[in-house]
Amino acid sequence: MNAVTQSSTATAGALDTRPVLLEVRKLGKRFGGVQAVTDVSLQLRGGIVTTLIGPNGAGKTTLFNLITGHLAPSSGDVLYQGQSISGKEPWDIARRGVGRTFQDLRLFSRMTVEENILSATEKSAWLWQPGGRAEARRRREKVAEIMAATHLTPLANARALDLAYAERKFLSIARLIASDATIWLLDEPASGLDPRSYDRFVALLRSQVANGVTVCIIEHNLDVVVNVSDRVAFLDQGKLLAEGTPREVLDDPRLASIYFGETA
Amino acid sequence: MFAYLLNLSVLICVNAILAMTLNFLMGYAGIFSLAHAVFFGVGAYTAAFVSMHFSDSLFVCTAAAMIISGALSLALALPALRVRGEYFVAASLGLQMLAVTVFSEWRSVTGGLGGITNIPAVKVFGVPIETANGFFALGVGYLIAVALIIVVLLRSSFGRNLQAIRDSESAAYALGKNVSAIKTLSVVVSAALASSAGVVYTFYLSFINVEGFTLDLSVLLMAMVIIGGTGSLLGPIVGAALLMLLPAGLSFVPGLPQAEVGLVQQAVYGLVMVLLMIYRPGGIVGGGSRKLAASAAVKGAR
Repeated sequence: MNAVTQSSTATAGALDTRPVLLEVRKLGKRFGGVQAVTDVSLQLRGGIVTTLIGPNGAGKTTLFNLITGHLAPSSGDVLYQGQSISGKEPWDIARRGVGRTFQDLRLFSRMTVEENILSATEKSAWLWQPGGRAEARRRREKVAEIMAATHLTPLANARALDLAYAERKFLSIARLIASDATIWLLDEPASGLDPRSYDRFVALLRSQVANGVTVCIIEHNLDVVVNVSDRVAFLDQGKLLAEGTPREVLDDPRLASIYFGETA
Repeated sequence: MFAYLLNLSVLICVNAILAMTLNFLMGYAGIFSLAHAVFFGVGAYTAAFVSMHFSDSLFVCTAAAMIISGALSLALALPALRVRGEYFVAASLGLQMLAVTVFSEWRSVTGGLGGITNIPAVKVFGVPIETANGFFALGVGYLIAVALIIVVLLRSSFGRNLQAIRDSESAAYALGKNVSAIKTLSVVVSAALASSAGVVYTFYLSFINVEGFTLDLSVLLMAMVIIGGTGSLLGPIVGAALLMLLPAGLSFVPGLPQAEVGLVQQAVYGLVMVLLMIYRPGGIVGGGSRKLAASAAVKGAR
């Protein structure tokens, strides 16, 4: 694996000097009587991997939905490259470069693998895409490259709903690569992967980060937290309790007791 | 007998165009509209109006019908795209009711309840279409043209956009797709193409009134699409042919009084629908077990 290894061994100083790509400012979301997210502030710096951890129901996925516009925040602001994106339509936010996957994947299940990825490159809502045949050929070539990188080439013509679980997860990431997103919000990308698929996933993630992608992951897998992440943010009951290097967060006995239970 | 079959064939073509264009919405965009007969009606009235007041050229009449129908479909698309699923069905139902009222009351254009009579023969390059054979050719020609346009659209990025929205709207949003714009465009395209069936219908009968464009037809069209198979190209054509041939076939059943045909027809429709939903939920062409067969094939290949 020749990818640049991003890991917690990188010095905190070098990471802190990177420009802030996405910033969440005192973000809050209320569903009726439930305060799902309370005053969360978080900075995602360019080219690093941040993992959101915390118990189920901590508000991690809600935070993603607030950033991507799938939910409207009740308070606070989201800035992407210094511009406020909160309140914008989800497709608009996605076109600016904020991409995401879903925990339940949400593939285009009756389309083939190739069509899923190709469609992610086609942004125009009009009857045809701009750029004519030359651009269409370029998109097809790009799809072929992405299928090779995500190990999906032999399944190009299989329908998404006929894929095995790990293949479906790779397809959701393939779509994200095809969309040219500069920041990836991944919702439990490693859960349920067998060891070989997991290694492939980590290698793919590292090579994409080396290419300049910024990543924010919701994950319970400790290997992702310790070995893949540069920063870890800990959420509980809608509040950001801590943010730091993986060691700083995991070594905090208070957080460990919330996350692993009283005996930890 | 031959004249009878020819007549039936033209009407099957008209209904098949309508079912195909409705399937474009139902099967590919995931939009369930109960207002499809409205755009059929707008096409028919526009063709009649244009041929009586401006030009009897088929191309002019068709172009006018498509433009006006497409433009009016924005009345369905723009407010209704704010809502989803069953709310869209309700909104389309409202439009259907409204349209029937307009068709019956706007006497200067639609002729009111009496409709429009004495619609002049339509001309193609100056040659009038007057014979049954001519209308058969017109019906088949339009059916093929609409089918080709739909095939090309579905294979394009626009078709993928529609199917992406149908399969997962939130994922389509997350990949930067302007879902409202794509849905609006699909409604406009479907309405414009459906109006071409109205053009054929108008000149074939040379008489139209509101009876032909009511909720009954919208429901029948939806039945054609579901029975034939949503999301397939051939399904709606098969569904249209079947539901048109059924009443025709029943009128030949010996011992069945003509007065009872309508009643038996309703019962048979109902029975066919219920049996299909149980045994072939994907429709006749759609195939209920396609998903299982496909997944078995992929697993076998591994």
